[in-house]
Amino acid sequence: MLVLNPRQVTFGASTWTNVASVSIGRSAHQTLTEWSDSGAHVVLVDVPEQMVTVRVVQEMLADDMDTVRPGESGTLSFVTGQNSSDAGTREVTVEAVVKTVSYETSVSRGSRRFVELIGVSADGVADPVSVDDA
Amino acid sequence: MASSFKELDLFGSGPHRFAMVRQGLHVVSLAAIAGDFTLAGSSWFGDLELEVHVRGRLVAPSEAALWALRDAATTQAASTTTPVPGTLIDLHGRAWTSMSLFRYEEDDRVCRGRVWSVGYLARFRHFVGT
Repeated sequence: MLVLNPRQVTFGASTWTNVASVSIGRSAHQTLTEWSDSGAHVVLVDVPEQMVTVRVVQEMLADDMDTVRPGESGTLSFVTGQNSSDAGTREVTVEAVVKTVSYETSVSRGSRRFVELIGVSADGVADPVSVDDA
Repeated sequence: MASSFKELDLFGSGPHRFAMVRQGLHVVSLAAIAGDFTLAGSSWFGDLELEVHVRGRLVAPSEAALWALRDAATTQAASTTTPVPGTLIDLHGRAWTSMSLFRYEEDDRVCRGRVWSVGYLARFRHFVGT
């Protein structure tokens, strides 16, 4: 899931502005592959452990001295829509823990902050990401 | 064809593979027998008992269904009674007679993804002395 230009992102009590994009990726943390006694090809594939990662890219217009830190947890949420109106907007919510905070600076693109988070499920069954009508 | 043990389809829910392990003579060092570590050499004491291992994964659509498969396997390996030997047949029709399921070991975790599954090693032996 890739969301370009969400108006703003909140994480816990913090509000992050000038967000360029939020991307939510899903990857297999453990992949199960099994072969049989009958032939050369895989007969069973499953993903019993998976991980949801969220990457928030933010344009920085000033110093960033009081930033989030790895290990901080909270609810990350933002509203997205098909256009700049309120029609058809949806709110995306992810319970997440901060993994990394990094920066990039360049003359042409200015400064950007990258916050990577890992989605956390309440019980291991529920998807950490929920999308609801705003 | 499906594999079976005593005509029971214990492992057919998921992929599984058969392997015969050590075969040949049972060799023991003479030093160990005599309790004299200066004694050199060894001797054989009959054939090794045939052992066949089945390694695979039980696969089920639910937690309860997986427990049913696990219980079926452990019932055959239970030690409450003397093991009742039977015929073990692999996926290609190879049969080993008078085999007992004497040990059933599972992997360290049940995998809960698209399906419920657990890896296992089932060890069968042809007990000669019983």
